[in-house]
Amino acid sequence: MALIDRVGGALPRGDVGIQLDDIQATVLRYRPEPYYGTHVMVHVADASAGRTFLQRIAPHVESAADWWQGSEAWIAVAITYPGLVALGLPEDSLRSFPEAFRVGMAARADQLLDRGENDPKHWDAPFGSGLVHIAVTVFSNSEETWRQAMDSARRHYDGQPGLSVLTTEDFGAQPGDLNPLGYRDSIGQPAIAGSGVDPLPGQGAPIKAGELILGYPGEAGVPLPAPQPDVLGRNGTYVGLRKYQSRVGAFNRFLQAHATTDAERELLAAKLVGRWRSGAPLTLAPTNDDPELGADPLRNDDFTYGADLDGQQVPFGSHMRRMNPRDTKLALLTDVKVHRIIRRSTTYGAPYDPNAVSERDDLTPRGIHFIFLSAKAMATMEFLQQEWINNGNFMSLGDERDPNVGLQEDGATFTIPAEPVRRRIHGIPTFNVLRGGEYFFMPSLSALRWIGDLAQRRSG
Amino acid sequence: MATDVQTAGRPAHEAEYAQKIEQLRELFADAPEVGKKALENVLSEIRAQASEEPPPPIESAGRMGSRLGKVSELTLIVPFAPGGADRLRTFLRLFGGNLQRADDVGTVHDMRFVFLDNDTRMLFATAYDGDWDAYIDDFASKIPDFLDIIDSAWEGWPGIRSPEAKDYLAKHQVTAEGWYVANDLTVAETRRLRHIGKAVDEFLDKVGD
Repeated sequence: MALIDRVGGALPRGDVGIQLDDIQATVLRYRPEPYYGTHVMVHVADASAGRTFLQRIAPHVESAADWWQGSEAWIAVAITYPGLVALGLPEDSLRSFPEAFRVGMAARADQLLDRGENDPKHWDAPFGSGLVHIAVTVFSNSEETWRQAMDSARRHYDGQPGLSVLTTEDFGAQPGDLNPLGYRDSIGQPAIAGSGVDPLPGQGAPIKAGELILGYPGEAGVPLPAPQPDVLGRNGTYVGLRKYQSRVGAFNRFLQAHATTDAERELLAAKLVGRWRSGAPLTLAPTNDDPELGADPLRNDDFTYGADLDGQQVPFGSHMRRMNPRDTKLALLTDVKVHRIIRRSTTYGAPYDPNAVSERDDLTPRGIHFIFLSAKAMATMEFLQQEWINNGNFMSLGDERDPNVGLQEDGATFTIPAEPVRRRIHGIPTFNVLRGGEYFFMPSLSALRWIGDLAQRRSG
Repeated sequence: MATDVQTAGRPAHEAEYAQKIEQLRELFADAPEVGKKALENVLSEIRAQASEEPPPPIESAGRMGSRLGKVSELTLIVPFAPGGADRLRTFLRLFGGNLQRADDVGTVHDMRFVFLDNDTRMLFATAYDGDWDAYIDDFASKIPDFLDIIDSAWEGWPGIRSPEAKDYLAKHQVTAEGWYVANDLTVAETRRLRHIGKAVDEFLDKVGD
């Protein structure tokens, strides 16, 4: 289902101030409901083969024009820094990319606090090896159109000399689009100024497009530095992919150890995230899940924390409040708007099983490709990892970490504000372990063609 | 002299430590007599404490600067722009030199602005929580004018909204070689503990009455 259908046609339309027909669809389009798809990681051994591939696939890469209507299958293409090198980009273009992008996510493990079990040395191949060059992703709203789109994408890379497929990872979470821990996810998205759609209820003031898409002014009034030449950078953005393995057994054991009835367990699960499994936020449904509310995009994000100043509904340390504190009074001077990201995460593997409690269940392949987009995705992810995920200082929570994606240390705690005294749970384990990650550049459609035509232009 | 430092059969870090002491003695060979004597006194004191675990070395506070636990130091030595010293001094006097308004930042323990060399250069030193550039984008968006009034006193300041601002600061930053932090608590934690302390006192007062 497309966004416009999800809201029953009642979409608040606004002005279009960005070049939607040049920006890739994934940047603006929400993940379809239901969703199916595949991430394909391609290695380019031969520059001209890589450029030919881009030339051939570019006409099939969907733009964001009328993005609120589309949800049929679409193809997206993104390129790592080693990929840009392998495609033969000119030296001065390569140098115009930011340092964190050039060295890649694995090399920034210190800044990302990817240590211990999240250390890149434990990652699944081919992530972090430098071999991943191009990611081709197909998103679709039905199994049938997904298969068709995959067939048409595959024709361009399969068996082509000079190209090899490193890994093919299918995703989708049917029935119900629930993530591996059993929640509806990807609900809160930033509203983007000039995107053609005004903010949905609760989205807050739109964020200046330049924070999320290269070539436009950001919140500070100026565009962020962009790759050169202009045709390469403009209308592109950066994509971060972090592949997590979900320890469903550890999650269920935690719920069982710290709550006695089913209702208490579900409330604890909601306190960790800030939302019930249906997506209904605790601000609007403080005592019981409300699936109808959870499924309604006009209502499920329509709240502030004005009536929850003490965190008794949504704990300060919950995943949702950390990742978007909205109007929470923070301990540090913060502009929440400059740290927002577009999220297009995808769930893979076995669906959530509420009865899985063994340590073997922790190893069942299932998890999430946490996918985030922003014109400064690398800097934002380092900020989030250091300040909002693996730290509690900004919420006056000391060393407490995000219960969902934080890397927990021995004896880590999770605090649930309550009257007369707060509840503090000791020994929260890491529920999602990092298994890989890469930074990509998601070029505009004209930049894809520009890269594809590089050799011709040089010789001509 | 160096022979009384035993190195054989000890772990690598102790050998490294012995090497540092040897280097120190070599450098102090040319030092004034009081310095040489003081060094020997201190070294024998350190030897007496040899069984104790040495404190961890200071870490890097990100791109530049030193950090101990959660608290980092930042020292800038910057040339003033023409007229910059007068502008900044007069601006600081508007608040009687008291920068209490920085309370809202929430990561800053202290700050000092010291005018050097006949108002041609300035030393800015601060102790703060975390990495130095984590919140620069927030400052650029929340308090740009305050920062640009202060920083435009400096020669070549590009403006806090400029992508060059971080590079400018890094260029003039000098990392401290030594760094001491009494309480490994962030500003936010200190405030929280003060709040809790007050609440506990109120509670005890009530119980005691």
